[in-house]
Amino acid sequence: MNLEALASCLSSSACAVTQISTALIIGMLLFMVASGLSLIFGVLGIINFAHGAFYMAGAYIAFFTYQATSSFLLAFLAGALGAGLIGVIFERFIISKVYGKDILMQLLVCYAIILIFDDLVKIIAGPEYKMMGMPDVFALPPLEFAGGFVPAYYVFMIVASLSIGALLWLAIEKTRIGKIIRALAINPQMVGALGINTTLLYAAVFGVGSMLAGIAGSLAAPTRTLTPGMGLSILIESFIVTVIGGMGSIVGALIAALLIGFTRAFGAIGFPLFVDGIMFGMMAVVLIIKPSGLLGREIAR
Amino acid sequence: MMKAGFLRDLFFAAVVLIVLIVVPFIFTKPSLRDFLIYVMAYGLLAMSLNLLVGLTGLVSFGHAAFFVSGAYMFGLLMQSGRVSIPVAILITVCGTAVLAMVIGAICVRLKEIYFSFITLAFQMFIHSIILTWVSLTGGDQGLRGGIPRPPFFGIDLSSGASLYIFSACIFVACILIMRQVWQSPFGYTLRLIRDNPNRANYLGVDIVRMKLGVFILAGAMASVAGVLLSLFVSGAYPEFGFWTTSGEAIFMIMLGGSQLFVGPIIGAILLRLLEHFVSIYTEYHGLVLGVVILAIVLGLRQGIADYVVDFLQRRREAKAAPAKEAAFVKKRIA
Amino acid sequence: MLSVQNLDKRFGGVHATRNVSIDFPDGSLTAIIGPNGAGKTTFFNLISGAFRPNSGKVIFDGQDIVGKSSLEVVRLGMTRAFQVAEIFPSLTVTEAIMATVISHLRKSWTFLRRFPVAEARTRTEEIIELLGLADKAGTLSRNLSHGDQKLLDIGLALAMEPKVLLLDEPTAGMGPDERWRMIGKVQHLWQVKKMTVLFIEHDMDIVFKIAQRIHVLKYGAVLAQGTADEIRRNQDVIDAYLGADHHLFAAVGEA
Repeated sequence: MNLEALASCLSSSACAVTQISTALIIGMLLFMVASGLSLIFGVLGIINFAHGAFYMAGAYIAFFTYQATSSFLLAFLAGALGAGLIGVIFERFIISKVYGKDILMQLLVCYAIILIFDDLVKIIAGPEYKMMGMPDVFALPPLEFAGGFVPAYYVFMIVASLSIGALLWLAIEKTRIGKIIRALAINPQMVGALGINTTLLYAAVFGVGSMLAGIAGSLAAPTRTLTPGMGLSILIESFIVTVIGGMGSIVGALIAALLIGFTRAFGAIGFPLFVDGIMFGMMAVVLIIKPSGLLGREIAR
Repeated sequence: MMKAGFLRDLFFAAVVLIVLIVVPFIFTKPSLRDFLIYVMAYGLLAMSLNLLVGLTGLVSFGHAAFFVSGAYMFGLLMQSGRVSIPVAILITVCGTAVLAMVIGAICVRLKEIYFSFITLAFQMFIHSIILTWVSLTGGDQGLRGGIPRPPFFGIDLSSGASLYIFSACIFVACILIMRQVWQSPFGYTLRLIRDNPNRANYLGVDIVRMKLGVFILAGAMASVAGVLLSLFVSGAYPEFGFWTTSGEAIFMIMLGGSQLFVGPIIGAILLRLLEHFVSIYTEYHGLVLGVVILAIVLGLRQGIADYVVDFLQRRREAKAAPAKEAAFVKKRIA
Repeated sequence: MLSVQNLDKRFGGVHATRNVSIDFPDGSLTAIIGPNGAGKTTFFNLISGAFRPNSGKVIFDGQDIVGKSSLEVVRLGMTRAFQVAEIFPSLTVTEAIMATVISHLRKSWTFLRRFPVAEARTRTEEIIELLGLADKAGTLSRNLSHGDQKLLDIGLALAMEPKVLLLDEPTAGMGPDERWRMIGKVQHLWQVKKMTVLFIEHDMDIVFKIAQRIHVLKYGAVLAQGTADEIRRNQDVIDAYLGADHHLFAAVGEA
């Protein structure tokens, strides 16, 4: 415990700004991953324990595309779409086989996928750490806020994540497709009876959910080291986010992701060893008080 | 009836105990003994978890909390030098039962996936406390300096062989206790809860109290598994309480089967063998393991032992059906 | 035995039960009828402790049980069977009934004995015999036919030795012949056990044939009550139940 360090950081605006920006990018990555997780759970009722694998896939695809083309835009798109595509394949051939099965079967299938993906990455990219490096487009001087410096890329990440989150929210709440998807979450038989191809919709929703993880992965690639197994730690945290925010709620995911982001960034200074403890403690408290999460609905059934 | 069933189990237990004790003295490879110790400690953990998963339908993601509490409590008690091994085990089991009672009282009120998540949260909270409370637990370095094993009742566990025999006895005793629970009226009431909790409630079963009861029992049993492991590695490590340990136990249950009493042990053996042989042939054992799991889940759709039991039953029924029909036809003709 | 006084329940804007007062004498066999949405199942949920009424009393065996949990109500001696059979799929008929008998004997916390338990055996066999499930005693509940599952559901309720038994549509989802067999069994065990039985039923023939008293619910309120003959001749009931089609109703009644 080093609460004095925390207090002194909070009193210095430079340190505070740095930590806030760190909190925000952790929060945004978690928000992207968790909103995908939340979407898949909300509509398909599946807890995708393999979600971290799509994050990893996004990061690696972005890395290789960037190496080949030196274009961050292409890398970003490839990471997002690649993860989405893998997600669709995974849904069609594997996850759809355990719909309605008990949760342990789903857990096991996802665990298998994690193991397979981690080894595939080792085979394709090698077991060692990879660094993508900062793309040239973002080789700009850091921006100054109240005496603290924030890298330009961080600002881009935050803006990009928030815009994608807003788009997703608009798509679900305001469009016809969104309405169908919300109906699908509540009464799939009814949606099927209306002549809508639910199989296709399930695959599409799973694809979008995986794409969100892929987006997080490709956004993270320039700032993080890439390793096989990188999906696991973010998976656990995004679970905490989903549980706290409420399964199926995008706004809930954003709030919870920021909460975890700030806990991580400032906890790293004040109580580095107990960050996990605080995060899981918050999760337990939310579960005790409101099991469906801050903004979640109770699962119908 | 009761006696016959119990005596049969007692007989099986004696056979298992003898095999466990004799085998390492015939095949003296140290790797075999390590294998058996692993199966005993983790098998016991998986068996205790299956009291929740397979018998009651409670999928706990945080069962290793009680495994790690067993290891640390026992280790710390022995390092204090004030108590003998049996007393330390007794205190550890009781202490963990109290811990399980506190955590369980909160968790068992939640349903389905929320129960899974909150058990995970509590386990990780305990894991964090162990990492943070360095002065007591040694933090991420684990409880080092060895766990002393002073003699008691003329039994000296300082030699590897006597420690092994002692552990095998404890292991078999715990399995017997759990077998008794599995077959008792208590166990059958838990099956009611597993199959249809709402109906059980309308048949006078106090679901919350029953769940809490089995949660405490399973926690206490897991702490014994933790004691066994800490005795062997002569230490305790935070990883015992990390979520991967719970995951491994769940995996053993799923691999072996949750409905057959010995399923989790079979799972522990299979998992260990699988890891062992796969890692001989390839460094990518995750890939192979993953494919095997997919094959089991998508192919068999249940644990291996459960599948074999069902398969045998179906074959018996298939054999019995034509015979019955023939008898029926004969009767009609007559 | 059971007396409901001024029972009232609202779900948001829906007034599901309106000021219902009914007496169920000791050892009676009573039918609750009414068109779909009349609040029959809600009525059962209110008296069995699943829902708490907004106002009113449920006097069971001399005490007001409003506010007691469903578990407490069961333990006082009122059990129920469900419209869709609520059973234990992976247990055999014997196992399920015996485990319930054990629950009734308050022996669920027994660790040191083994299943099957001797003192529960007689009672278990008696119930299986009474239901006519003897040849299926060892069958897994999930492999039973629909009708047998409904029977088992009733058998589970019986294992609690209830003073009052609530049956929610015991003949739901059955063909005509099976219905009569089922209701014959219900009548039989009512006679044997001398319990107070309430049942919800749609089939008028069945209701008029076996019920001592009939209570008609409509929009959550009691529309009429009386014997089969009284109900059959009650103009309100005829109007409510079948609209203008009196003749059909009369014909059904006399069949």
